[in-house]
Amino acid sequence: MAAATIQRLAVETGVVSLAYIVAFFATFEILMPVQNLFFTDLTNRASLLFLPHGVRVLAAWLLGWRSVLALLPGVILVFIYAAGWTALEPSRLAAIAIAVTVPALCFQTLRLLGRDLSPAPERRPCWPCLMAAGLVISLVTSLLTNFAFGSAPKEYIAYLIGDVFGLFFLMLILMYTFRGLRRSGV
Amino acid sequence: MSEISKLTELRKLLMDMELSMGLQDLSAVERDIYYAASDKAVSTGAVKTTALQTHALLASVSRPTFFRALKSLQGKGYLEQCKNSVRGYYIVKTPEG
Repeated sequence: MAAATIQRLAVETGVVSLAYIVAFFATFEILMPVQNLFFTDLTNRASLLFLPHGVRVLAAWLLGWRSVLALLPGVILVFIYAAGWTALEPSRLAAIAIAVTVPALCFQTLRLLGRDLSPAPERRPCWPCLMAAGLVISLVTSLLTNFAFGSAPKEYIAYLIGDVFGLFFLMLILMYTFRGLRRSGV
Repeated sequence: MSEISKLTELRKLLMDMELSMGLQDLSAVERDIYYAASDKAVSTGAVKTTALQTHALLASVSRPTFFRALKSLQGKGYLEQCKNSVRGYYIVKTPEG
């Protein structure tokens, strides 16, 4: 029983962290260079299509509190890649903690407020509700991260747009992937 | 919740998106029957008609509407009647095209 639980957590952590890392590289190595051609005055860090936010939201929606553990290795590796060993500075560790806990915390808070969005066999899924939750998660993350870093308001608007569009486009990519698999008979 | 059912939940969510965007040709009742069948199929494989009728998503659907939608789903290739079983059992399919 315990071995099965550990195995399940390991699989979840592997899949979610890998998805986060892939989404990060797709965002910063493929989408960002294109974005920089059109929006030259935006800071290099603010992506207008931040796919990792979609991974965070979907992971928290599907796994609840277990998403904190599942996201942690991926988020730490991405921070180390982006910031080097300064990722272990207190402000960045705080940002890592915010990035992995806020999505699950928001879904839990919504549940306590009577708006339980978590998946259940007896419940109809609602993707616009998930988009709204993604917006709330982005706002809370931005506000809390402001204490850790301190960015200009213009950057925050860019982060917010990037998070919401990132979630939407990740879901769109997954939708067309599932649709393609279905059509090819997989 | 098992790994398979998590994938089912993700698939249901994205199908909801697909339906909202008008990329699927299912009515609301057909969609709910398909969701219910997907839920039940995770644990049992084949789904019995009575199990679908008692599903929470279909509690308010009238009997004629339910069977009309069930027949339509078969026609569209979303459900297939079990060949190796007594009547009233269905397998969830993924229609091509």
